[in-house]
Amino acid sequence: MKVKWIILCLLIYGTAFYSSLHVYSRQSVTESAEDAGKLLPVKIKYVRDVHTTKDIQGWIKEARENGETISIAGMQHSQGGHTLYPNGTLLNMTGYSKILKFNPLDKKITVQSGVTWADIQEKINPYGLSVKVMQSQNIFTVGGSLSVNVHGRDIRYGSLIDSVDSFRLLTPDGTIINVSHKENSDLFPYVIGGYGLFGVILDVTLELAEDELYQHRSGEMDYSDYENYFKEKVKQDDSVKMHLARISVAPETFLREMYVTDYVLADQQDKKEKHSELKEEQIIALPKFMLGVSRYSDWGKDLLWETQKEYFLKNNGKYETRNNVMRSDSGFMEYENPNRTEVLQEYFVPVDQFAEYITDIRAILEREDLNLLNITIRYVGHDEDAVLSYATDDMFALVLLINQGRAKQDIEQTERVLQKLIDVTLDHDGSYYLPYYSYPSDKQLKRAYPRIEEFFDKKREFDPEERFKNLFYERYGK
Amino acid sequence: MNYRTFVASQSILMTASSMVFPFYLLLIRNIGDSYSQFGLAYGLFALTAALTHPLIGRLSDRIGDRLLMLLYTWGMAGVMIIVPIIDTISALYFLQITMGILGAVQKTTEKTALARQPAGQHTGQKIGNYHLWTSVWGAVAVMATGYLIDFLTIGSLFYIASFLYMVSAVILMRSNFILKDQMKEKPVQP
Repeated sequence: MKVKWIILCLLIYGTAFYSSLHVYSRQSVTESAEDAGKLLPVKIKYVRDVHTTKDIQGWIKEARENGETISIAGMQHSQGGHTLYPNGTLLNMTGYSKILKFNPLDKKITVQSGVTWADIQEKINPYGLSVKVMQSQNIFTVGGSLSVNVHGRDIRYGSLIDSVDSFRLLTPDGTIINVSHKENSDLFPYVIGGYGLFGVILDVTLELAEDELYQHRSGEMDYSDYENYFKEKVKQDDSVKMHLARISVAPETFLREMYVTDYVLADQQDKKEKHSELKEEQIIALPKFMLGVSRYSDWGKDLLWETQKEYFLKNNGKYETRNNVMRSDSGFMEYENPNRTEVLQEYFVPVDQFAEYITDIRAILEREDLNLLNITIRYVGHDEDAVLSYATDDMFALVLLINQGRAKQDIEQTERVLQKLIDVTLDHDGSYYLPYYSYPSDKQLKRAYPRIEEFFDKKREFDPEERFKNLFYERYGK
Repeated sequence: MNYRTFVASQSILMTASSMVFPFYLLLIRNIGDSYSQFGLAYGLFALTAALTHPLIGRLSDRIGDRLLMLLYTWGMAGVMIIVPIIDTISALYFLQITMGILGAVQKTTEKTALARQPAGQHTGQKIGNYHLWTSVWGAVAVMATGYLIDFLTIGSLFYIASFLYMVSAVILMRSNFILKDQMKEKPVQP
């Protein structure tokens, strides 16, 4: 009797087990992935950790045989799905991170594209060298930064494209080519700021600058004085090497009060040694808490603004090396709320039009419901080297940090407001930065980037099978 | 069912559950796209367990621990082969409810079975040994899985766990109806 029962149970179990396995093996194995914007969770077929070029060539071959797509990811801080494409292969480049060649005398460094700015800083700081152009934070990969053609606090060296000597590109057919101003030079302005659509950037040779000692010069002012201040005190003064400003998003001083920090070449460069040790991220609990409070309340925003302003103004006169200015904290901005996220927008507006522009966007933002947490302002000089160039004039770049929900209606609400802001930006001969969520309309994209068709045409010419694909291309390139 | 069989089957099922637990949490996190769904899924489990505890307690007095243990082991063997193939949040909620009930069955029966071992001076020692072996197996399983996961897919881990639950069930089925017979022979004195 007992044996019969056991056999019966085992038979039923065996059948169920087999059926489950059958279904399981037919399910396509997927992993989910998303970028820092957290608005585009995507099922990826394979996430491949890249270590050698042979690996990538193998995966490209495989993708070609199976008619599949490839997207390329560094730190995934682009927020418009530039690193993602559903059911494709995602190349995780962060492990492809060797420093290949460093020649302090030439002031050049060759790195694999998964190397971060932090890695480079650690390598070159002892030699008194520094990166020319990068973001204000150092957590990003070089390959990712090239693909979005970043700019930062530096006001003298233009955008990243200006400091790239050459790079190697793994093309859609699996071959490796050199790209520089001399070799395959037609590709240079497409791949830099190319959002991973032309192939995999393998290694990059960058020009370096001298590490220098700067002295902070901080001050507060009304937004209407900023343009003149910048022109006279910053741009014309060759000793000012970097610049950063912030305009208030706190209700009491909304889009009126500003404070600025100029990084002025210090008189006593011999003191540099004393300050050259690379700083590490400081305790983040307090700024994280204050940013947290400012997310949810107006008084929190006022409090954050006042405290932050005081902190920056107190730093007036402080000495800091260039390398240390280029490694500002970011840990306190990490945000783990499951239902909400924080997205960025960046708008460029010609220096001459700043005050009128602020007046116009203030009019919109005072009417609309947008949880704006921060606006920082940097400067980027006229630079149209890349096909998708944003600096069509000498521009102020305003980076907006926005807290929003992740649901469909939240996205639509943000889109409605941001499209108005973008229209105003474009009306002021401005532009916007592409690595963020696809809020801008097709029409706005064309206005901001007149060469966008040319860009997508070149992509299809170079990659006719559309092996390299991402959600940015899917949204705008079709 | 004697003490040895009981401890053996419990150790095996403890191995299975410790093995998949961390990965099951991961799975819940992945299927749900927010912590609130994660919370709901987990809460459903705890709540069904809480609500079914009294029922199961009474049931164990009526039908004996062995049948309930069989329900648990076969039930979990079944659940573990469903886990790898679900991909919707509602299926997950359903599984959590099922596992809530089964979890309550296991919690109650491990205690009642221990309590109903023939009374004697060694009750404490037996309970001690029971916890020793089940915990040791649980710990070994967690550590081993940490290494194994490099070679296995998460899906196959659940199939292995299901297999272990099945073995545990078969061991129980092969054992005799001692406890239930004992209950019949020696009714509780008023």
